[in-house]
Amino acid sequence: MKTPSLATLIVIIFGAVIVALLAVGAPNGRPAPQQVATNSLPPEPTSVSGPGLTLASVNVELPDDTATYPDGPHADVINANCTACHSASMALYQPPLSADAWHKEVEKMRETFKAPVAEKDVPAIVAYLTAMSAKTAAAGTAPKPDTAQ
Amino acid sequence: MPDTLMTRIDRRRVLQASALGGMAAFATPALAQKLADLGLPGGPSSREITTGFPQKGAMILQRTRPPLLETPMDVFDTGVFTPNDRFYVRWHWAVIPPSVDVDSFRLKVHGAVDRPLSISLADLLRDLPRVEIAAVNQCSGNSRGFFEPRVPGGEWGHGAMGNAKWMGVRLRDVLDKAGVKAGAAQVRFSGMDEPVVPTGPDFKKSLSIDHARDGEVMIAFAMNGEALPLLNGFPLRLVVPGWFSTYWVKMLSDIEVLTQPDDNFWMAKAYKLPANHWANVSPTDKDFPTVPISTMVPRAWITNLADGDAVAATDPNYIRGIAMGGTRGVAKVDISPDHGRHWYPTQLGAEEGKYGFRRWDITARVPHAGRIPLSVRCTNAGGETQPLAQNWNPGGYRRAGVETITVVAA
Repeated sequence: MKTPSLATLIVIIFGAVIVALLAVGAPNGRPAPQQVATNSLPPEPTSVSGPGLTLASVNVELPDDTATYPDGPHADVINANCTACHSASMALYQPPLSADAWHKEVEKMRETFKAPVAEKDVPAIVAYLTAMSAKTAAAGTAPKPDTAQ
Repeated sequence: MPDTLMTRIDRRRVLQASALGGMAAFATPALAQKLADLGLPGGPSSREITTGFPQKGAMILQRTRPPLLETPMDVFDTGVFTPNDRFYVRWHWAVIPPSVDVDSFRLKVHGAVDRPLSISLADLLRDLPRVEIAAVNQCSGNSRGFFEPRVPGGEWGHGAMGNAKWMGVRLRDVLDKAGVKAGAAQVRFSGMDEPVVPTGPDFKKSLSIDHARDGEVMIAFAMNGEALPLLNGFPLRLVVPGWFSTYWVKMLSDIEVLTQPDDNFWMAKAYKLPANHWANVSPTDKDFPTVPISTMVPRAWITNLADGDAVAATDPNYIRGIAMGGTRGVAKVDISPDHGRHWYPTQLGAEEGKYGFRRWDITARVPHAGRIPLSVRCTNAGGETQPLAQNWNPGGYRRAGVETITVVAA
């Protein structure tokens, strides 16, 4: 039998690795890592076509946001209550607001959007946000979210 | 083509300069994080530029969860159509399906209809007549960050808008397939997104039955010739030409024909405007009558110059931008270098659909050296002209007045 050329060997080994990787699958059923995807043509996503247009199934990963409200009095209370539904930046990017305006916002979250915030926590949250607004007004910039893991 | 090109500071250089300032102020390590300064009065005005969202290029990060991504103004200088990967993003709730299977997806049509439907994407792509329309999609709160006094909400600059060629089918054709019953009052639209808190109000919007059947409202499966990015509503989005984006329901999956006016939170309580022509009240006004937000108004922006840029004091300057007419086409765009005492007509680019953006430009000398306020004003084909003074309302909705930037002539 003729000895396979180096190129043929590489193709065979590469193919075997791809087959093995495909058989093993990606961890947690996530999409295959990029380096495999670019070399081995994973199964085409399902698609539907009409004249001049094909729609292919989509599977994306939306970025998570682990940033918390920066340190300050009652930061623990606001972090426990106000990071589940929205990023901290939503509050940090607001213009400086009065205690009364912040109270209205917190009540809107509770009453309209049904945020599970205990009534006893409301004063601490409003106090944190009002102090944050005072800092923003003085500096002209938002306090930075705490991204330390 | 104008032969005199103005000197200008590249916008990106301005952004990089502000990024350096921002980093010094925050005293963080030298991360390669780019910042945009939106110029919001009183701040906070600085935002991170992100490339971290799927199917999206560089965007101004207003909020990660639920995503609020703003289009940088320089994107609007590249043409009247906004690229899909730079098109702004706005979601109300953070539960957004990250995957959509095009085989199993169904659009439901139910309520006051003769034949409830469960329509596949294949049906929509193959069985109904195709329509295409260029239309601006603008958030009700676009430019909210410039309201003075400031109001709470999504603190957008001017980039919560975009223009695309939308392709899809007429909503009317889908409704006719289902057979709308006599007595129908409104049609309600809901997408696949869900409230984080199960008891929270699911996002739903409604149009009158006559509007829904006007032949212009469409169910789009493509923008600018491609499938919609997931964050812009893949696989289907309602397109309501001339109306604010709050009605352009994304990931549209449910159409319900109602026999009574919709009293759900998002119609009855949210997105309400003062019931006067310019949606304008004084910050001290209370208990004024309100109406649900609906149609857009004329607006115009300069896109090749930013606030603070340098221009030539004696040579002509080339100035250009975009305008929109709201419910009618753009008829003219004027520019003023003196807070509206004198207006000069600009030249309009080709019209690519009355609901879309239209380019304007002018080559002109500025009146003197030093700081020059440049204001641009759009008049639409219905004769409606932007007011010089800004309107104000507590929701920060439907900003209408002429926009002004200050350039420095030397």
